[in-house]
Amino acid sequence: MSDNTKSTLKDLTSFGSPVLFVFLIATWCIINDSLAPVLLIVGAILSLVITRLFSAGSSWTAELWRSVRLSPAMLRHFLAYLGVFIVELVRANITMLGYVYARRIDIRPGVVRVGTRLSSPVGRLALANSVALTPGSLVLAREGDTLYIHWLDVKTTDPDETARLIVGPFEKHLEAAFG
Amino acid sequence: MAETALREILGSFVVLAGAFFLFSAGLGVLRMPDAFTRIQAGTKATTLGNLLVMLGVGILHPDWALKLLLVAGFVLITNPVSSHALARAGHFIGIPMAPSTGADALRDDENAKAEKAKAEKAGAENGADRAGDGA
Repeated sequence: MSDNTKSTLKDLTSFGSPVLFVFLIATWCIINDSLAPVLLIVGAILSLVITRLFSAGSSWTAELWRSVRLSPAMLRHFLAYLGVFIVELVRANITMLGYVYARRIDIRPGVVRVGTRLSSPVGRLALANSVALTPGSLVLAREGDTLYIHWLDVKTTDPDETARLIVGPFEKHLEAAFG
Repeated sequence: MAETALREILGSFVVLAGAFFLFSAGLGVLRMPDAFTRIQAGTKATTLGNLLVMLGVGILHPDWALKLLLVAGFVLITNPVSSHALARAGHFIGIPMAPSTGADALRDDENAKAEKAKAEKAGAENGADRAGDGA
């Protein structure tokens, strides 16, 4: 059998991403607040269809879901990332309160470039979203592996130093979790 | 009985703390100097404010915990995405930044790219032979 027919066959029979399926059916059960068999069956069918549509084949969403692989190490790093994230979120808010309630808002905003080591789309999405919620920074755009970040109070324009200050806390765990 | 009362007091205080952060976000939007810094104030404080309100409601009604977790996750994912989209669009159409703004690396790079495209276009128009040399 040639590689081509093999991949077509695989597309036809492929189930899609199990991660997406579990996520969907869990969401369904939580929203319905019930584990009644009828609801479970309807939920399973819906989840199957959506999983098949969005994570089988060769569309970009399928590529994206394929890049997410569950493993104990991945879950551990994801939880560690969540912990770091919550600490950073609280710190960002305290800084923000300082600016907001200051007698005079004394900031020097600016846009800086930050390079990232992350290569997977999911990892970059998580990084960009985390950056938006941490001390005075907001991702404006992305070109390749460069993020353009609006920084509320620019402390340095040195690329290495900005990377350490803005994306440093998250990158380690996200790299281990998503690549 | 005492436990219920304690839970209600604790839950109410957490909701109140959330409300305080939401108020600060509003104040930040009023006080910040330009669109981008306002988006920043709006994003961060509303996210933590929302999470605290969810947590407080979760303490008041523990049986809603899973649904509240779902809502919190939704807020955590969508809030930064919307602020990013607003900021990107704002920068794209050239909304001015506060006078105190220092470097704008994105504007610099976009200008450089536009200059390069213009130069290439000009080069293609009046110097087709030069392009031939390059190849």
